[in-house]
Amino acid sequence: MDLLAQVLINGVLLGGLYAVMALGLALVWGVLNIVNLAHGAFIMLGAYLAWHLYTYLGIDPFLGLPLTAIVMFCVGYMLQRGLLNLVVRAPMFNTLLITFGLEVVLTYLAQLAFSADFRTINPPYAGNSIALGPLVVPLARLMAFGVAVVLTVGVWLFLLHTKLGRAIRATAQNLVAARLYGVEPRHLYAVTFGIGIGLAGAAGCLYGTVSQINPYIGATLTAKCFAISIIGGLDNPLGVLVGGLVLGVIESLTVLYIGATFGDVASFGVLVLVLIVRPSGLLGKTA
Amino acid sequence: MACSILRTSGAVFFATAVTLFGAPAFAQDIVLGASVQLTGPVANTGRYYKDAYEFAVDKINAAGGVKVGDTRRKLVLKLYDNQSDVNLSVRQYTQLVSQDKVNLLLGPFASNFALADSAVSEKYQIPMVEGGGASDQIFARKFKYIFGTLAPASDYFASTIDMLKQLSPEPKTVALLYADDAFDVSVAKGTRPLLEKAGLKTVIDERYTSNASDFNSLLSQIKSADADAVLVAGHETEILNFVRQAKSLAVAPKMYSFTVGVPSADFRKALGKDADYAFGMTAWLPSASLKDRWFGDAVQFATAYKAKYGYDPDYHAASGAADVEALAQAMENAGSVDPQKVRDAIAKLNFPSLYGTIAFTEDGQINLAQTVIQVQADKVVAIFGGKGFVEKPKYPMPAWNAR
Repeated sequence: MDLLAQVLINGVLLGGLYAVMALGLALVWGVLNIVNLAHGAFIMLGAYLAWHLYTYLGIDPFLGLPLTAIVMFCVGYMLQRGLLNLVVRAPMFNTLLITFGLEVVLTYLAQLAFSADFRTINPPYAGNSIALGPLVVPLARLMAFGVAVVLTVGVWLFLLHTKLGRAIRATAQNLVAARLYGVEPRHLYAVTFGIGIGLAGAAGCLYGTVSQINPYIGATLTAKCFAISIIGGLDNPLGVLVGGLVLGVIESLTVLYIGATFGDVASFGVLVLVLIVRPSGLLGKTA
Repeated sequence: MACSILRTSGAVFFATAVTLFGAPAFAQDIVLGASVQLTGPVANTGRYYKDAYEFAVDKINAAGGVKVGDTRRKLVLKLYDNQSDVNLSVRQYTQLVSQDKVNLLLGPFASNFALADSAVSEKYQIPMVEGGGASDQIFARKFKYIFGTLAPASDYFASTIDMLKQLSPEPKTVALLYADDAFDVSVAKGTRPLLEKAGLKTVIDERYTSNASDFNSLLSQIKSADADAVLVAGHETEILNFVRQAKSLAVAPKMYSFTVGVPSADFRKALGKDADYAFGMTAWLPSASLKDRWFGDAVQFATAYKAKYGYDPDYHAASGAADVEALAQAMENAGSVDPQKVRDAIAKLNFPSLYGTIAFTEDGQINLAQTVIQVQADKVVAIFGGKGFVEKPKYPMPAWNAR
């Protein structure tokens, strides 16, 4: 019984981390209709940024998180203005190609700049845990979970209640009507992509604190984020949180009851199931 | 007319350019071909082989090259980056032998690569000496052209299990975790009968996906089953995640041991103080008793290597350097660069090197005992070799909050 409870705790905390990783991907996908295959690479860059801030300037990864997010926002904004706006209305295949290319370039630039050595962001408290009777709650994962919830709800409120957020949603729903009301799509797209990349950067800080960083972590993270976005649905950031939690718990339980090689089978199996049963995601609007 | 002159001179210029820049090897040079991981997820270890191959080739050339028959000939290295992609590495080895016409082959890193690439050396009957693949599967196919300088994977935990029997309090239960690739499956297969013979009870025997990043469920099971000793066969990224997550879940068995990572400087750097107490094994430690014709001894090798590349060589690097030496020595013994003759000479090799005595079994694999090592205060310490303790192990591992 303790084991089950412990594994459930692990799964929920893992799911929070998953959610914050997928949040940016889902936002960009939902609004710009760009499936950003370089999303994982941006998480990797964010993680390296946080690692440098921690290692050379002594800035705690959780304090460095806003800074990393802002820097990554600027990177994302400029990329969208300079590169992706060229293809934003092109068929989806073109955007897939260009973001895939971006992923390859970023990965290899990262190896040139940072070498293939593994890094970890390892503040003294990273391995601490809180004991609840026989159960253990890892502190860093709990903090990452907290950040995930705050960011998800924050993005949700931002989209619902701010002028900019409403403009983003309006553009996603009906570009022509939004332009008639004075929305400048190029700027708006860049802001949205910037937010997506900023969220990836934030996720990178958290990922580096609980796992390890090397230039090649991006591709698998992108695949995971992709699955979470589909499972949760693209309409609503809360859906991504649900998608992340569902995936985290299912993976953990699969490892416990079926076997450690079946984690990925389970997560992508759920993805297929969701596509069949609820194509717009668990929290998506039913068509 | 003018046009044809232009064309001819163009062709001449092109031909000159090719001889000047395209083919650095002169006719009498001996070209050794290899494809290693310089980029991609395994680049971290792959580059040890590039560095080691280059280092050994330079050293042998500086000593006048290889004496084949009556002539001294230089070694040239032809190296490709396989981007950590097995299929690409097979194509590159095919290119090395069929188009680049290299004389002999050096191996890639990792068992799954060596497993696939050795099919190329076998098909073209060009001997390959590899120092990066330890899986018994590579040598179980009765191939005649593949030779390996890593100790057999099935033996990796043998010395560790011998040590477990002599620790006090003696561990009773064991958890065995392994990744689902050629090397780690071979390790697990070889370890099971050893555990049984030693009378240790295996409470968890679990295979996991390569590149897994989440070990929380497995760690919780280890804690719940109360395993005394945890043996993990995997890759360095997984081991890093395993140790970090063990700490965050406060899982502290009496000891844990890993097939990779522990001997590497990189591992200790990434984990810092959390690397302490981790057991591992190595078939090579730089010792002055390992005499070498080219480098003097293993200590001099290690010192010169670190001075050149900026990191301490581990057994991967030593094994890679030994591969080059094995080919050089075999060519001298054979008095020829003919692949068939060199192959027979490799099979008969028996010479001391910085890595140990190079001699291959019938199957083509070297036989070296693993020394148990442990990280103690950020240093790798030899703990147990042969039948007895070299240094005192730090055992049992204290709880994480009591360190």
